[in-house]
Amino acid sequence: MNPTALFRVAGAAAVVILLLIPLASSELGGLGPLVLSGYVMHLAITAFFYAILASSWSLLAGYAGQFSFGHMAFMAIGGYTSGLIGKFIRFTTAPSELCTDIPLFGSWWLVVLNIRRVGTIDESCLDMAKTETLPAGTLIVFPPVWASIAMGLVMGATFGLLVGWLVLRLRSTYLALFTIGFSEILRASISAEIPITEGQSGLELVPLFPAGLLGFSSTSKIPPYYAMLLLFLVAMAMMTWLAGSRFGLFIRAIREDEEAAAALGVNIVRYKVLVFVITSTLAAAAGALQGHYIGIITPNTLIILQMSLVIAMAVIGGLENIYTASVGAIVITFMLELLRTNITIGPLHIDMTLWRLVFFGLLLMLTLRFQRNGLLYPILERISRGGVAAETVSIRAAPDEDEVDVEDEEHPPSGPDENADAEAVNDHAESDR
Amino acid sequence: MNRSRTLIWSAIALTLLALLLAACAPQAETVGEAEPAAQEEAAPAPTEAPAEESDDMAMEPVKIGALAPLSAPGAVVGGEAMREAMLIAAEELNERGGIMGRPVELIIVDTEGLPERGTAVVERLINQDGVVGIGGGYHSSVGVAAKEVARDNGVPIVFAETWNDTITSVQYDEIFRIAPLSSEVSTVDVKFMQWLRDENGMKLEKVVILTENTDYGIPAAENTTALLDEAGIASVTFSVDIGTQDFAGIIERVKAESPDLIVTLATGEASYNFTQQAADAGIGPQDVPTMCNQVSLVSDAFWTNVPDGNHCYVRRIGLPQQLYNDVAQALVAEYSARTGKDDIESYAMASYDSIMLIAQAIEDAGSTDPSDIIDALENINHMGALGPITFPINRSNTPEQAGVDPKWWHQFPDPAITIVQYQEEGQDATETTVVYPVIYQTGAPIIVGQE
Amino acid sequence: MENAAIFGWALLWIICWGALGGVVTPRIYARKDLEISQASFGGAVIGAALGPFSLLPLWVATPKITNRLIGIAIAIVVGIFIAAFALADPDNLCVANGGFVISQLANGIVIGIIYGLMALGLTLIFSILGVVSFAHGEFYMIGGMVTYFISAKWLPGVSPLVAILASCIVTFAIGYLFERIFLRPMGSGEIERPTEYAILVTFGLAFFLQYFTQALTSAVPVKAQRFFPFPRAELPADSGALLKMTPGNVTIFDAVSIPNPRFTAAVLALLMLAALLWFLYRTWVGKALRAVSQDRQAAAVTGINPDSMNSLAFSMGAMLAGLSGASLVQVFSWLPQVGIPAAARSFVIIVLGGMGSLPGAFLGGLIVGLVEAAGTGCIPDATRAAAYIPAYGMVILTLVLLLKPTGLFGREL
Repeated sequence: MNPTALFRVAGAAAVVILLLIPLASSELGGLGPLVLSGYVMHLAITAFFYAILASSWSLLAGYAGQFSFGHMAFMAIGGYTSGLIGKFIRFTTAPSELCTDIPLFGSWWLVVLNIRRVGTIDESCLDMAKTETLPAGTLIVFPPVWASIAMGLVMGATFGLLVGWLVLRLRSTYLALFTIGFSEILRASISAEIPITEGQSGLELVPLFPAGLLGFSSTSKIPPYYAMLLLFLVAMAMMTWLAGSRFGLFIRAIREDEEAAAALGVNIVRYKVLVFVITSTLAAAAGALQGHYIGIITPNTLIILQMSLVIAMAVIGGLENIYTASVGAIVITFMLELLRTNITIGPLHIDMTLWRLVFFGLLLMLTLRFQRNGLLYPILERISRGGVAAETVSIRAAPDEDEVDVEDEEHPPSGPDENADAEAVNDHAESDR
Repeated sequence: MNRSRTLIWSAIALTLLALLLAACAPQAETVGEAEPAAQEEAAPAPTEAPAEESDDMAMEPVKIGALAPLSAPGAVVGGEAMREAMLIAAEELNERGGIMGRPVELIIVDTEGLPERGTAVVERLINQDGVVGIGGGYHSSVGVAAKEVARDNGVPIVFAETWNDTITSVQYDEIFRIAPLSSEVSTVDVKFMQWLRDENGMKLEKVVILTENTDYGIPAAENTTALLDEAGIASVTFSVDIGTQDFAGIIERVKAESPDLIVTLATGEASYNFTQQAADAGIGPQDVPTMCNQVSLVSDAFWTNVPDGNHCYVRRIGLPQQLYNDVAQALVAEYSARTGKDDIESYAMASYDSIMLIAQAIEDAGSTDPSDIIDALENINHMGALGPITFPINRSNTPEQAGVDPKWWHQFPDPAITIVQYQEEGQDATETTVVYPVIYQTGAPIIVGQE
Repeated sequence: MENAAIFGWALLWIICWGALGGVVTPRIYARKDLEISQASFGGAVIGAALGPFSLLPLWVATPKITNRLIGIAIAIVVGIFIAAFALADPDNLCVANGGFVISQLANGIVIGIIYGLMALGLTLIFSILGVVSFAHGEFYMIGGMVTYFISAKWLPGVSPLVAILASCIVTFAIGYLFERIFLRPMGSGEIERPTEYAILVTFGLAFFLQYFTQALTSAVPVKAQRFFPFPRAELPADSGALLKMTPGNVTIFDAVSIPNPRFTAAVLALLMLAALLWFLYRTWVGKALRAVSQDRQAAAVTGINPDSMNSLAFSMGAMLAGLSGASLVQVFSWLPQVGIPAAARSFVIIVLGGMGSLPGAFLGGLIVGLVEAAGTGCIPDATRAAAYIPAYGMVILTLVLLLKPTGLFGREL
């Protein structure tokens, strides 16, 4: 079988399996002996969340060479925007008088709440308006979740545009430092502005499907599973298409040599900003969805540890390929949970809750040093070559690469790396002589 | 990189992965982190329930969950103490023959001090491990988030150390608490200050509050400020990010306020850092009366980090050691033997009680159905290490009917709060002088900085 | 704040004219075919300084934008900023209380010296290897941990200097090993895109070291005793009006007080700085290091082995971080996480000072120390001033990167 077809079949099979997994969940009674508890479903949702983050970060860092450490900040922007809209915005059929009222079409008003804390209870101006100024029978409507998530995306994209534009001049190290700065300032502000963001206590978000969906209750794991899976698949499809298109070609050209790319007519500004906008929108989408699913978001999601988790996932999986990055994220999410089991070897008692992260850090360093393309990459490579000797491939692949990129837009995993691949092989062919 | 090396690496990676998945997958379903006996060679592992092969259904263990912060950014020191105390509870229950003749399996999970993590692990305890009740709990923010999951699933949680008033004031059937209310702690703090002023002739016109911007610190500071206002004492609040190390700038500002008393509502190393740096700058506990945070009761860590912390007033939850009941004394003996500490932290004691409470509620209910356990908890009268524990405000006696604030819902009404003072450098927490309230007093307060 | 509006308008004025100057000036200079490398930044600060009154003459006369001109403009901007603040909030401690201001300044300078020492290590690494070590904070943390464990646990009673020396050796050794195993291959071309590789691999090291230390030491905060307590003394003998010393504190003129541990740490940092300067400028190896940082190829031609200079620079950088940790472990409570904010601060400092510039790192340290002191000291809202401490430095970082990425003394990008 030719490798491209093999990847397609494998990809399709993976999608089908992911779509069918909820059938085995305990909510639906399980599939024979296989019963997945709510917790496994929760882990799966979290795994998709990290997969979206890791793969979009790999598009940004691995393909475009923009090593941003602010990815979690965009994630938080998505989550917080959506949460703040749910906290402060209402629609009513009459002006509240006590809050900030903005007239909309017809008899609808957009009300921005003014919330103050009385003892342990939050009191909003709308609660007072209900008893004082609002006429009886006034409808008060919460902003729909999908709309606030969409606003989260818009904010993610806006900040992506802003940051992408600001960092145009900055290369590698400077970019990394700038994005760390951005992320830290955001974290400190969220922690300090307690009246707005609730600070460290965390901003509560309404459930993803407040009224439930298709007979599932609002706490069921199945609708969020499909929502996150859908976002994951859409994100992957979009990134696959992008990576295989001229866009993908250009951003990789920018990564390899910015001046040369510019000289060849690539619009550096446009593509650098664009890749920021796209990846931060994806991160914001993941953040908003996850926020509504978990029900709470805190500034701790922005700490450097969380960012390093995403980076490590992408690197261990394979930084220069969105597929390996996302598979890495899924595998590592589950592994970090499973590794919590303590080990006792003779008198030696190892508290894995602590040590798992030590091993994880070591694995990250060793991967970088000895298996630059990630631990999953060799497997891909092996399959895609179908056992043909490397030298032969290099000769075959080199003349093909341009055609492959152009003719096949929805390209399988081998696509994005075809260039790097061929180069690497060529190097070896040379050094072997 | 040549091909053979690539192949070797991929083979290693695959093998590792396969091994990990194979090794861990079956265990993860049941075990969690409950391997208490691993550190204690003598005692048999309580989690490996004394289930003999002969029995099956009837001997299926009763599963109780427990929350504790066991890795950063959580308060790991607190979490480890709680874990130890809860393991003692589980072992004791099993030595006694378990609950309703069935062994007890205690599953302790790590909340990492993060709300989102808290919801996930409570979810896991309930849906994967199938626990019938949950004890422990340290960080307020985790408690606030976890209570929602408990409510969605109808499984009771008895919180041992989450002070935030909201946790009970929302009046969920499933939520019980044996930790003090944050607002009540503030009340004791302020009463103590008034007592210093009125009975001991201390000058007290202005108080500086140093708080951390968390949901322990902020509400506590707000409550304290309001109560100080009522008492006619001015106050200024400085709030800091929990990661703050360098307090020099803030301390200069505190100094410029020339306070008569300083209250520290920051936990962990922030509290130590602030107190010692204040002492270095000349407004430490030996210069200005200072109420240090309760973390100062971990005396080893306190004296290491705050060598100039003598004369700190510290609020202590629970009775002083000389007034411990039999349960508490037995617990302290066992706890000291395991940890080498002389006394038990209040939250460790409370988490022991939280597990014991759930156990008794199951016995009382004669059932492991969570809703029966909730009924039993409402009517419980349990002699715990903290004293006789009851929940007088409940569904049959609602806050409205009783005419009290909703925060008293399912709340253990009298966790004793005392104020102790370090009066000698390097003193152990157990030897501190109880200075307030007067009925427990073992010595007069030393009031520093008086002309 | 009483007249917050004054401050707000002043800020708006500065920002608007600054932006205008930054955008328009390079175009005017470009049209006249003049040097534009400084035009954007120079235009921005000159615009921010006096608005139209300075911009119009600048655009008409188009003088060469010298560092001096920029310096004057920056001084005016800072002056306007301070004046507006003072007018807006005349009762603020930073305005009304001289003793307070001097104490804050002293605090800022003392802590700034130590920040500077740590940042020196980072900038040394950058100048030789062209790499920013994201594990710098972890070396700082390890330096402190080793010092604590030796002086308090393993060899109690031993001189603190021995403990500090041990921490230097440990951090140097870890740095050396890491450089040999993980960074050496960068030079041989074995690794594509080395800068990105270095960012990630040092990041991995940070992750590893932090959790490794945590797993070994648990999470109880620790702290070393004061290394060298002051003797008790008063000058003049009865009142102590000039100088008053207690073991933990020295007070000068009854106004400025410096805690002993900070003072000791700053003195240690200054001594170390002197030693470092001597090493770099007076020894053969030091000169070789500087030569490599200036021109790698040329240095190699003269017989200096750049690879061993890489190892030396990285391990020395790590050691400097370890040393600042060792001297601060008597000031702050120490945990495996303490390295994170410290590293972030070092990044700010080297960017501000100019990456790879030694004097820049030292000056940057002082500026960051002072800005943090000013931020915590002067922001009127007591509940916010300290809550934003982590952000102050980061604001400087973003501003510098946006306005003048080369920093104070940096080479062109």
